[in-house]
Amino acid sequence: MTNERIIIKGKTVVPGHAQGKALVADATLSFWGEVDAVTGEILAVGHPLQGQSIKGRVLIIRSTKGSSGAPMMMNIASLSGAAPVAMINVEVDALAALGSIVNCIPMMTDLDENPFDCIKSGDHVVVDASNGIIYVSK
Amino acid sequence: MQLTDDQQAILEGSRGSFLAKCMKWLIDWGEVMGAMRLIKVHNTHALLPVPNLMAKGASKDVLRNYMQTLYEATEYTTAPGCHCTVHATFVNRDEIDAKENDPEQAKLQKDMANKARDAGFIPTFTCAPYLVGNVPVMGEICAWTESSAVVYANSILGARTTRHGTESAIASSLLGWVPEFGVLLSENRQGTLRIKVTAELSDSTDWGALGYFAGKEAGLCIPVFEGTQQLSQEDAKQLCAALATSGGVTMCHIVGFTPEAPTLEAAFHGNVPESFLVFDEKKKRETYYSLRNHTADEVDMVILGCPHASLREIGQFAALLKGKKIAKGVRLWIDTAHGTKENADYIGYSKVFDEAGASGYITDGCPMNLRMYAKRIVTHGFKQAHYARTMSKAEVIIASVESCVQSAIEGRWIGDDK
Repeated sequence: MTNERIIIKGKTVVPGHAQGKALVADATLSFWGEVDAVTGEILAVGHPLQGQSIKGRVLIIRSTKGSSGAPMMMNIASLSGAAPVAMINVEVDALAALGSIVNCIPMMTDLDENPFDCIKSGDHVVVDASNGIIYVSK
Repeated sequence: MQLTDDQQAILEGSRGSFLAKCMKWLIDWGEVMGAMRLIKVHNTHALLPVPNLMAKGASKDVLRNYMQTLYEATEYTTAPGCHCTVHATFVNRDEIDAKENDPEQAKLQKDMANKARDAGFIPTFTCAPYLVGNVPVMGEICAWTESSAVVYANSILGARTTRHGTESAIASSLLGWVPEFGVLLSENRQGTLRIKVTAELSDSTDWGALGYFAGKEAGLCIPVFEGTQQLSQEDAKQLCAALATSGGVTMCHIVGFTPEAPTLEAAFHGNVPESFLVFDEKKKRETYYSLRNHTADEVDMVILGCPHASLREIGQFAALLKGKKIAKGVRLWIDTAHGTKENADYIGYSKVFDEAGASGYITDGCPMNLRMYAKRIVTHGFKQAHYARTMSKAEVIIASVESCVQSAIEGRWIGDDK
């Protein structure tokens, strides 16, 4: 890690604070059927994050998609300790919002910068969703 | 969000802590999604499943905590005048191989089903409620789970529902309120992505290919299809399911055929974009081959009925199987709701499947949540093929209904002209 630190403003979806390593892909994801909710492993075939785990990560993707089982799987992941610690989505799918609310996962959208340009998987990200700010350390 | 006195009182606990929690879920969700108020809902479709394989390896505490919401919900009764149907379960209703259908989970689901029924939920147990008695009319406000049914209700029927999950559908069913945002409002129902269809759509699987292509392009957009011919209920079912598999689509328009799209202008509320995507024969072929990852032709499983088969489809399956025998070592599953299966039994279709040596029905369940000991699966549903590839580790082949049935008879993928 270098000392480079970026501050990006955005819009609060679900308030709260969390930090962790970023897991980033300009892609969509269905929590039902494409993620193992108990281990956090992304199962989606051909997905840029296939084989990686969402567990404890700040998940930065375009949006969720797919099954309406998403909130229930986010609940099982959350109870199993395998959920992301925070979510940053470019577009907000109603199902991701619901799952984040029910499971108290801080969520943000509409960042001032394109997250796929300035945040890489592995960067340390502090998400202050209550104040709409994220801090990225490279 | 503006709350009425009644809503505020429930939030503060006038009807108990669980309904206060439900009210809070709806309010928080509504505020996040831009709702200004809660409006009445008289039609819901709730997801109340035991987790089964979806939570394979989860601790007993996790499962108990997850189930707690469902148990608490069924201690109440559904809101007066609200037609609340229930989504497919994650087990099979009837006895099948215990290897595939965990008997303990099946027992838990049966118990949950009885509790839900006693709480006022209509036990339809299906991903296609519009086939078994929940057919909302144009403009009707709904709160539905099941991503494919949401697209169907909005697009084909002109009803209005956002994409609901377990908690929001339970809360809406018990309280009779839903936050007003997204496609519940007329101004949010205009198309946002234009797609010209030049490929021939000769059967329902072709419509699924169109949906699978368009969903990937659309993400959360509202696609508008122009240039198609008349579609059937089964075509619409495949289109809607695929749109909400590769994408997160809430609704679409098909110019000339769906109720809010008599013209291209109407579908876009007057703002027709000049740019468009084209779904041509090449794109159709590429879409099929994106879900054909087989390395050999031997087939050991054929799955029909995703989303849950209609009576017309079951009749089609029976006609194709009449007098034929399914190859040794091949299992053929037909997924449908018990309401449809009972009709099929009465008509005599089910006898045809027995005589052909089919494994039988997956009644009320979703096969994706059962253990599928399959090496190579042929199916006609793009949704099924997409998730089977991810969840079962089997190879998949997407194919027309005729091709699926013929593959079951011959025990090998017979190919087609797709």
